[in-house]
Amino acid sequence: MKPINNKKLTILSILVVVVGSMMILLNSCTASQKISMKSGAQLWAENCQRCHNTPSPSTFSPEQWETIGMHMQSRALLTDTERDKIVDFLKSAN
Amino acid sequence: MQTLNKLTKRILAICLFALIATVTKAQETTTVVDSSLLNRVSTLEQQASYIKPRESHLMAVGLLTFGYVSNKTTVTYNGTSSVSKSNSLGDADHFEFSPMFLWRHGKKFLMEFEPSFSADGVGVNWAVASYYATPGLILRGGYLVLPFGTYNKRLAAGWINKLASDPEGIADASDFGVEAEGGIQAGTTKWSYDFALSNGMQLQPDGTTQFIGITDNNKNKLFTGRIGFLPLANSSIEVGASLMTGNVGDANLKINSATATLWALDLNVVENITPFQLNIKGQYSEAKVGNATYTDPNDPTHDYTFDNHTKTGYIMAALRPAFSQNDVVKNFELAARYGNYTTPANSLWGTKDNSLAVGLNYWMNWRTVVRFSYEAIKGTSTVSQNLGGNPGEITKSNSAYIQFCIEL
Ligand code: HEC
Repeated sequence: MKPINNKKLTILSILVVVVGSMMILLNSCTASQKISMKSGAQLWAENCQRCHNTPSPSTFSPEQWETIGMHMQSRALLTDTERDKIVDFLKSAN
Repeated sequence: MQTLNKLTKRILAICLFALIATVTKAQETTTVVDSSLLNRVSTLEQQASYIKPRESHLMAVGLLTFGYVSNKTTVTYNGTSSVSKSNSLGDADHFEFSPMFLWRHGKKFLMEFEPSFSADGVGVNWAVASYYATPGLILRGGYLVLPFGTYNKRLAAGWINKLASDPEGIADASDFGVEAEGGIQAGTTKWSYDFALSNGMQLQPDGTTQFIGITDNNKNKLFTGRIGFLPLANSSIEVGASLMTGNVGDANLKINSATATLWALDLNVVENITPFQLNIKGQYSEAKVGNATYTDPNDPTHDYTFDNHTKTGYIMAALRPAFSQNDVVKNFELAARYGNYTTPANSLWGTKDNSLAVGLNYWMNWRTVVRFSYEAIKGTSTVSQNLGGNPGEITKSNSAYIQFCIEL
């Protein structure tokens, strides 16, 4: 293993500082809520935008949302509670 | 008085008759409507039951990425430059048409198949069966996109990407194997894991690695794994670390003991700062292949070696007034990406590249986009002179893209 060079160290530490301070900043303004306390609509709004634009519930039928829920659970590595709440919301707002 | 009584009796009798007639009539009509309605309902029920999917559900989706690219490349060595220009409708590097099929059986099994037509011909992006074993554990098997970093598995699709081109140096990593993955809640934070074992890569005589397909060339399997951490309760930040390691030597060739070790760090930030949505995505990775002796393709009697170490990273930011009141303004998005790609010096493909890409996207809906991107890449060759290279040669490539991406 080669010693980590200075440039890399600088980039890494900048990254750590930026991410760290962002976390603290954002944490202080978002009320920390457990998944079990959140609604399906809130979980949908928070999670689906992590990778792509948030799909509207009217895009698919309830039956299709069930399939997509399983598919996206695998992509986004959602917990089962998150998946079930989001799918229930998408099906009811559909 | 008597006449009045008679009259009252008659009126009463008429009223009674009218009442009975109406009730009887009403009953008749009700009965008639009821039975015809019941018949129709039961026919509908039969029809619905005939086509009701029960446990088995099939759905098809798909995507298209189509565009135009115009490129100008200037190569400068020892003070002399040569310029070449090209353009392509369809954008040969990024054209893709991929239907995707999802079969679900109940809530435990899901099969995914994505064939793809691109400039390379017809291929398969992935073909996987997943079993939702217990909460927090999904078991998968088939032809997988390996969980190394986040770009390949999550962000590469045209309709998801923010710029027309891919960052340099992120190799496709799909392989035959098995995978275990899941998400776990820990207080207000979340963790995720994604581990795979697959046939692995093979070291080529020139020092590059290649996935080898369904028959393994050695007894070792390739391990690929990623751990993700979402520190905030609103899931707006994710950091991940990945590792890929395995023997890449061929049991029958002279390079039989080489091991490849790759690691990656990734970052994903999506913040809604009304009226804007800010996206920051990045990935940094290094790949190291153990020492081996390679053969010069220009002179097979000549062996050579080099430090087979590759580094690549990108950081991308995009800003969209997604929550603007204006229906046109809210669909525009600005994006920029900086990339760095260093391949092994003294190898046949040694280069140090820097790239900068900027773009403007117009989102027609959540999964349809028209984008204009521009990318400038500057590369400095590090190919050794012994191998016929021109170390120090500078290649500047400028590309302008118009791209249309849709997912349906
Ligand atoms: C970790 C990244 C990620 C997250 C988070 C995510 N998706 Fe996706 N989504 C993808 C990718 C990648 C695809 C493209 C298909 C693929 O690669 O399998 C996709 C495709 C889709 C599609 C097209 C149909 C399909 O199943 O492929 C829908 C609909 C969809 N996502 C809905 C959602 C919803 C709803 C959520 C929120 C629960 C969500 N996605 C969260 C990555 C993600």
